[in-house]
Amino acid sequence: MPNSLRQRRRVIRSLAAGGLLLPGVLSELLASDSIPQHRTDPLAPKRPHFSPRAKRVIFLFLTGGVSHIDTFDDKPLLRKYHDQPRNNRTRYCKGSMWPHRAYGQSGIRISDLFPQMARMADDLCVIRSMKNINGDHFGATIGIHTGSATFNRPSMGSWVSYGLGTENQNLPSFMVVSAGIPYGGGQNWGADFLPVLHQGTQIVPGHHPIANIERRSVSLAQQRTEMNLLEYFNLQYQKGRETDMNLAARMKSFETAAAMQTAAPEAFRLVDETQATKALYGLEEGDTSSFAWQCLVARRLAERGVRFIELIDGDTSIDKNWDAHANLSKYPALARNVDRPIAALLEDLKRRGMLDETLVVLTSEFGRGPFVPTPGTDGRGHHARCYSSWIAGGGVKGGMTYGASDEFGDDVAEDVVTVHDFQATLLHQLGIDHQRLTYRHAGRDFRLTDVHGKVVRAILA
Amino acid sequence: MKQFWVACCAVWCLGQAVDGGEAERHFETRIRPVLIKTCQKCHGNEERGGLRLDSREEMLAGGKSGAAVIPGNPQGSLLFQLIAGTHPTRKMPPSGPLPNRVVADFSEWIAARAVWPESRREFYQRRVEPILRQRCYSCHSDTSRKGGLRLDLHHLAVRGGKSGPAILPRNPDGSLLVQAIRRQGELKMPPAKRLADAEIAAIVKWVAEGAAYGPPLEKLEHYTISDSQRAFWSFQPLQIPDIPASFPGNPIDYLVETRLLQQGLTPVPAAEAAELVRRASYDLTGLPPGAQQVEEFVREFASDPDGTWRRWIERLLASRQYGERWGRHWLDLVRYADTAGDAADYPIPEAYKYRNYVIDAFHDDMPYDQFIREQIAGDLFAAETESETWRQVIATGYLAISRRIGVSPQNLRHITIEDTINNLGRTFLGLTIGCARCHDHKFDPISTADYYALYGMFESSVYPHPGAEHKPWRQDFVYRIGKKKAATLLASHRQVLQEWNQKERAALELYRDFQRQKVADPSRSREQAWRHVLAVREQRRPYAEAFPQLERAYAIVDGADPHDTTIQRGGSPAKRDRGPAVRRGFLQILGGATLAPTVRESGRRQLAEWIATARNPLTSRVMVNRIWHYHFGKGIVASTSDFGIRGERASHPGLLDWLARYFIEQQWSIKQVHRLIMTSRVYRRSTSDLPVNRAADPTNRYFWRFDRLRLDAEQFRDSVLLFSGRLDNTSGGRHPFDHHLTYFYRQHEPFVGVFPTNKRSIYMMQQRINKNPYLDLFDGPDGNIQLAERRATTTTLQALFLMNSAFVHEQADAIAARIIAEESRQEARVRWIYRTLLGRTPTSDEILRAAEFFQVSRIQLAATLESEEEQLQAAWSGFARGMLASNEFLYID
Repeated sequence: MPNSLRQRRRVIRSLAAGGLLLPGVLSELLASDSIPQHRTDPLAPKRPHFSPRAKRVIFLFLTGGVSHIDTFDDKPLLRKYHDQPRNNRTRYCKGSMWPHRAYGQSGIRISDLFPQMARMADDLCVIRSMKNINGDHFGATIGIHTGSATFNRPSMGSWVSYGLGTENQNLPSFMVVSAGIPYGGGQNWGADFLPVLHQGTQIVPGHHPIANIERRSVSLAQQRTEMNLLEYFNLQYQKGRETDMNLAARMKSFETAAAMQTAAPEAFRLVDETQATKALYGLEEGDTSSFAWQCLVARRLAERGVRFIELIDGDTSIDKNWDAHANLSKYPALARNVDRPIAALLEDLKRRGMLDETLVVLTSEFGRGPFVPTPGTDGRGHHARCYSSWIAGGGVKGGMTYGASDEFGDDVAEDVVTVHDFQATLLHQLGIDHQRLTYRHAGRDFRLTDVHGKVVRAILA
Repeated sequence: MKQFWVACCAVWCLGQAVDGGEAERHFETRIRPVLIKTCQKCHGNEERGGLRLDSREEMLAGGKSGAAVIPGNPQGSLLFQLIAGTHPTRKMPPSGPLPNRVVADFSEWIAARAVWPESRREFYQRRVEPILRQRCYSCHSDTSRKGGLRLDLHHLAVRGGKSGPAILPRNPDGSLLVQAIRRQGELKMPPAKRLADAEIAAIVKWVAEGAAYGPPLEKLEHYTISDSQRAFWSFQPLQIPDIPASFPGNPIDYLVETRLLQQGLTPVPAAEAAELVRRASYDLTGLPPGAQQVEEFVREFASDPDGTWRRWIERLLASRQYGERWGRHWLDLVRYADTAGDAADYPIPEAYKYRNYVIDAFHDDMPYDQFIREQIAGDLFAAETESETWRQVIATGYLAISRRIGVSPQNLRHITIEDTINNLGRTFLGLTIGCARCHDHKFDPISTADYYALYGMFESSVYPHPGAEHKPWRQDFVYRIGKKKAATLLASHRQVLQEWNQKERAALELYRDFQRQKVADPSRSREQAWRHVLAVREQRRPYAEAFPQLERAYAIVDGADPHDTTIQRGGSPAKRDRGPAVRRGFLQILGGATLAPTVRESGRRQLAEWIATARNPLTSRVMVNRIWHYHFGKGIVASTSDFGIRGERASHPGLLDWLARYFIEQQWSIKQVHRLIMTSRVYRRSTSDLPVNRAADPTNRYFWRFDRLRLDAEQFRDSVLLFSGRLDNTSGGRHPFDHHLTYFYRQHEPFVGVFPTNKRSIYMMQQRINKNPYLDLFDGPDGNIQLAERRATTTTLQALFLMNSAFVHEQADAIAARIIAEESRQEARVRWIYRTLLGRTPTSDEILRAAEFFQVSRIQLAATLESEEEQLQAAWSGFARGMLASNEFLYID
């Protein structure tokens, strides 16, 4: 017991002995030392449509449009014709600056930008035939998050929270760890017409990751005294209104909040992680903001039952994201920042036996084009009609590639996977039929995939 | 020769084509083959550069670079410049130059006004097929073959039906079809109404030329409304229930209580005076009553309940706060925001004028039909004074605030118009018309043609451009002094700014060359280019900021060329997906009237009239239901913006219709409806429970009690600020946005603004992309979608906000300071806070419990806070927070 607490107890006892305390005060003082119990939450776990292969999703989103040709979709022909014209000299081939090599037993070819992720090649299912519904950052980013490139719709994480609830009522069911705000802003994790409790809670890396989670009352004991007073107010008001469940639910929400106030910061305190683990992620002492921190926190949130965890790398500033019209040379630094942490996350989940039940996804809003208008430029344009993503764990086959682009990486050559197909497949692994997870709004049953989407069954283990 | 061309042109203008003649031969033999072989590969269905060269209209309309051909002026025609090699930078076709002879042919053709006769097939598709489809197919096609006749396929039409062949190609006078439409013989077709002369002429000409068929431009199913759709309740005229003359009280009570009786439910007693005064105050003004007002009310209520109640309602209705409360409801419906919602979320500093217009309209009890007319077509209705005219212009801000999308919203105009139609349908009519953009409505009798009949009106209107990434300069805002005067006044400033704009664009082009990977000067880096852009913008800034701010509104006016529009198949505006034109008009299910041929306006005025009439069965029903909803927390029709087949059914259809008629009879006065509803027993019931009733009607569908309501985001924040003494109760104006000419927001650097204010929440700046986190947390308005019914969710994050947020702590500190300053004894202070925050005196148990709290707190706080003042302040702040977080404060009984 800490000293101050012991001292306080001594004061209380002496006051009680002197008969100076009002009747309820002694029990109140002693009660304020005890930890309140938490009860259930409106986000109670729900049964999926069918037996799920994955319990949760870790969604890794690299903002800006990662060039598929320079990462997961090797195009030797493009390199061969580098700087040579196509189509009446209006565009020129631009081969990747980075060599690609075959990795693992599967021999998946990955570029030298991602040597660490490449180690995990046999766990990855690389999709090389992704197609988004919009060619600009804003539309494509909300496209892959919400299925709509125009009007606001609930995000995938909100749909998952709505469909499955959460396993830990002391934490939000959908958490977004992001230092900045991506294109489209909070729309990417908004609940829109779904109830607001399914909205993603943004965690800003740093010392105060969740808004309002830190106690502002002068001491914990005083906060408990205040909470007890609140409970008294609520009990007084409840008299004669016992049947109103809203009042009871609100009273419970304060108990849950008190529990979350303790439990949530604990999820972000990495003191109990071993040096070996920190080294695996490349996390330096005192670091609370790098992508490595984000990845390690993601694993901890996954362990604690958060249903949908999204990590975002970069924001709308082109100096900090993967948008590279004229500066592909920034890629090595960007890649170094995420490569080791992501590989570590996969390895760590695997070691702990969690990868099987965790769907890990790496994607961007689109890829970048194989052709440039002038030879020798250091950049590539937006390219939404064909790009690459990967999925690992969660009942998806590892060590495989799915779909293919044409010989230049320009368009999908086989097995197109649209963002809606992608979303349908992720939901499927969570035990959700994307056509049956609906919400009635404005006279119509809405779903994440609108009227589109088919599950990519070929990649399911 | 010249006369021939003039004649030919005149024929064109009449929309008729002629066969034979030199010009036509020239086109058919020299021009059309080249267009087909060389041009249409890219400028056909592919629409490269937005250009089609497969019809004269498309060619004249041009693509992204403007009109392709100016008839009569080959040298000025882009098409000619490109093929002749006279254009400074570009050449066409890409495959290589055309022979000189062909170029000469084109020159001759354009000089002779680019005559392009319709082929017979085109004539059929454009002029004949629409007539057959609209007037004949409902009886003579694949679905219905009256008299054994089908007119939708050539060989069947020629074969004819029971009366013999319908068409004798090249012999119109002998064709039964022609005789029937001329009503010359026994058969008179169409039976209901004769075709127009021009229509008859078109068919005659078509038959005379051989009755060539072609694939229809649009394979529209004939849209039919089923009997059950037609009989659906909300499309029926109001059906007013009888109220016995002997019934003495409020008709609402009769209509609700007869239902209660039928259901075997007993209404609970009336609420206490203290509950009523608080309920009415929050309901009408969004703020709690003052402690003194409560006491006064309770005292007077004891002797004169009805009079006291009525006076209280009048007082509330007359307050400015009433407009701010009920105006907020309307802003929820029209998804009001202060930014455009494009990828860079451009600010609209003028948007607040519409917000204040709405507040004023409610405050002044503007008749609802007028309110509708002004918002949809205020610019088109006459007004008596200049200030009225201006108010009506501001009112069309309702349309202007439609959502903008992406980096070039002007290229996604069809999405903005969808947002307009979607909102208009739901807000005024309770119909989800927006569903019919891509296909006929799946449930309600609303066809795609209905959608595009409305669409034409908005396409014929000018939406202001608030700026966006690709075009930061705004366009088409409406000047109070008028466009011309403003142009004269601003000319010199414009000229200066224009130069700076050009410099800025030139600098940006250099930077964009990097984005396009087209760098001419490799010695310069991308970063340097960007720094240069920023430097130019900085130099430009003083000139932009010096630009005079003439009074403007974010508003709508009619375009120069009001027109009908074509159906967009699958919702796609691409030219290849365009179907037939639809005459601007109104929903088929509600009469299907179209604009008269003489109308030269967009049609918004007629639309406003069509909605704002007692004859429209939806308008009055939808609005009285909303008023009821905001009073009781739920509507008579629970789905307040969906009166369609998928919506909820009315719990009290008779009551709904009775109220709707009352609303109309009271000249659409919203305040009259408030008075009627609030003086009913139904409104004054307590929230108490009755287990028997609850078992039979757990959701209180029949209004046997008043539902306990939770304060919404604005009510909570405004009340807290009121208690802390920090509420700025003045009305809000323009937000402190920068000068509009200094905006260069991009999706990479979108607009993000936080303008702290202690004004009422309705005056907080509301952004579309970066939403207000507080409003989000407490189920507040979104600004992107219509919010017809606020939720009252309970979440852990709300609890954390009340426990730990800076806002709640700061306000509670201020409340604590007030208490300590105003009263000196603890018990008096406890009485003060109960009286001020909860509007009642504490019980002796509550006073004792408070005393315990302060004793415990003092002991605990002594461990961390040194001075007694600090301890006292902290303890009272904690007490105030407890009360602000309590259910008694957060719920309205």
